[in-house]
Amino acid sequence: MNLKPTIGIETHIELNTNTKMFCRCKVVDTEEPNISLCPTCIGLPGALPVPNEKAIRYITLLALATGCAITKKGMFHRKNYFYPDLPKNYQISQFDLPVGENGKLEIVIDNEKDYVEIERVHMEEDTGKSSHEGTGRIDSATSTSLDFNRSGVPLVEIVTKPVIQSSKVAVAYIEELRQLAIDLDISEGKLEKGNLRFDANISVAPSESDELGTKVEIKNMNSLRSLERAIDYEIKRQSSAIENGESIIQETRHWDESKETTTSMRSKEGSADYRYFSDPDLPNMVLSDEFVNQVKDSLPPLPHENRNKLVETGLDLSDANVLSKSEKWILELYFEVFDNTKDSKATFNWITGELQGQMRKLEIKSLPEWFSPAFLSDVIKLIDENKISFTSGKVILEELIQKDTTPDDVAKKLDLYQENDESAISEIVNEVIKDNQDIVERIKNGEDKLVGFMVGQIIKSSGGSINPGIAKEILSKELNL
Amino acid sequence: MSEKFDITNIAKLASISLSDDEKQKLSSDLSVILDHVQALSNLELDTNIEDVYIHPLEKELVLDQDVEKPSLTHDEALSNAPKASDGKFIVPPSLE
Repeated sequence: MNLKPTIGIETHIELNTNTKMFCRCKVVDTEEPNISLCPTCIGLPGALPVPNEKAIRYITLLALATGCAITKKGMFHRKNYFYPDLPKNYQISQFDLPVGENGKLEIVIDNEKDYVEIERVHMEEDTGKSSHEGTGRIDSATSTSLDFNRSGVPLVEIVTKPVIQSSKVAVAYIEELRQLAIDLDISEGKLEKGNLRFDANISVAPSESDELGTKVEIKNMNSLRSLERAIDYEIKRQSSAIENGESIIQETRHWDESKETTTSMRSKEGSADYRYFSDPDLPNMVLSDEFVNQVKDSLPPLPHENRNKLVETGLDLSDANVLSKSEKWILELYFEVFDNTKDSKATFNWITGELQGQMRKLEIKSLPEWFSPAFLSDVIKLIDENKISFTSGKVILEELIQKDTTPDDVAKKLDLYQENDESAISEIVNEVIKDNQDIVERIKNGEDKLVGFMVGQIIKSSGGSINPGIAKEILSKELNL
Repeated sequence: MSEKFDITNIAKLASISLSDDEKQKLSSDLSVILDHVQALSNLELDTNIEDVYIHPLEKELVLDQDVEKPSLTHDEALSNAPKASDGKFIVPPSLE
């Protein structure tokens, strides 16, 4: 049976506001529990929520950047469920009037553009953190301990339509969304800190069917590796169940990273289980045209716009995608260096290969103050003009990262400039030919591979200052090869 | 009107248990109520959902600046906790 998977992803992005969503408690990043709390975020009776203007601005940025239509008169709803990390017994969220709807996000797959359709972008609040004390196993815990520092931190939820066909597309989508949040400066985008967390809804159906199969939700993943493996595992599990004639149960499953399997957590809730109703504490949220236009005007260059600019310099889409997901200074460095060299591929390779490789080796996260983008352009140009070898370029770069100097100074100090004067090179070549008559004889008798040996000898007698390409060229000429 | 609801699921959501007889009686009662409310669907509304959405408050939402305000101290926050340990609220074990 030919089967096709369909995936929809719900992503929660923690915004990097100074204070929480519905109270003015500071958002703190600390292990010290319960130090930033007030009656609102621990759900004491009588406390009233007041939304954070910056969070509304941030979600509007994200909704506009994903091409969503903005709901001008929106509303907050209560999503009711009982769990100790939710002290009010409901989460303030949005239901049928989210901030944004019907958008799309451009992604790059195999050097081609693709789009993931976005169903909605809505605002909500995070819960506290619970840990289960006792034997370490959740099902035999003796008590639950709670830290409410995270309770009320603004969360944006982005829901895709069920349009994703593979784990590869899912990963590309999350990478793009993460970069967008970073470029918009609305989140730190650190997966390891849980700034982005995602749930995947996965179903499998016969290829020819227009209807989707029964969906299974995998909750709370926060690494791309988990996302990829959980989706692949789940597609396989559901496919073999269907092939064996078993039915798929609509449920929520948990991805177990150590066992690399998903296990059933509970039967899936429908929206009726949450008894949504409009929050009587929060009147209609009206986003005026003036506000929306002001937010629109403040949009920075988006990742797909950066990619387009990079492609204009001559890079292919896949390389442009890599750079569009780099730190901002790397992107700026690329454009500055390219302006001088006009060689997109060499600029890309030197920045993403050598420069970042050496920085990783030296364990430094940013370039030293003295390092000017012109240094990298100079190195690339010197190689291009055959004035230094590629290997010398690497040596120079290494020096430039570690010492306050210039490419020219390093090349002179380490004697890395190549001899390009043909008559001077010819002189050395003829010298080497004279000293190696037996080899020359063998080359003339057809032992081609000995040409390499001769080139080596020429470079050796020049003290490494001759470009191997030119040496070979002149040698061939002298030997009439 | 034909039944468009699952009485067993509604009972589950309301956390009540119903006997078969009660299910039958409540199903027909609920059908009558839904038929009555169904009259609303016959209204012709060509207005935007945003314009007709009814909220108990007529005022518009007021937003606050993203500036920290002092509030409860750690000890005050925990003072109503039934039990606390290592600075955390302690509650009976709960499972997902």
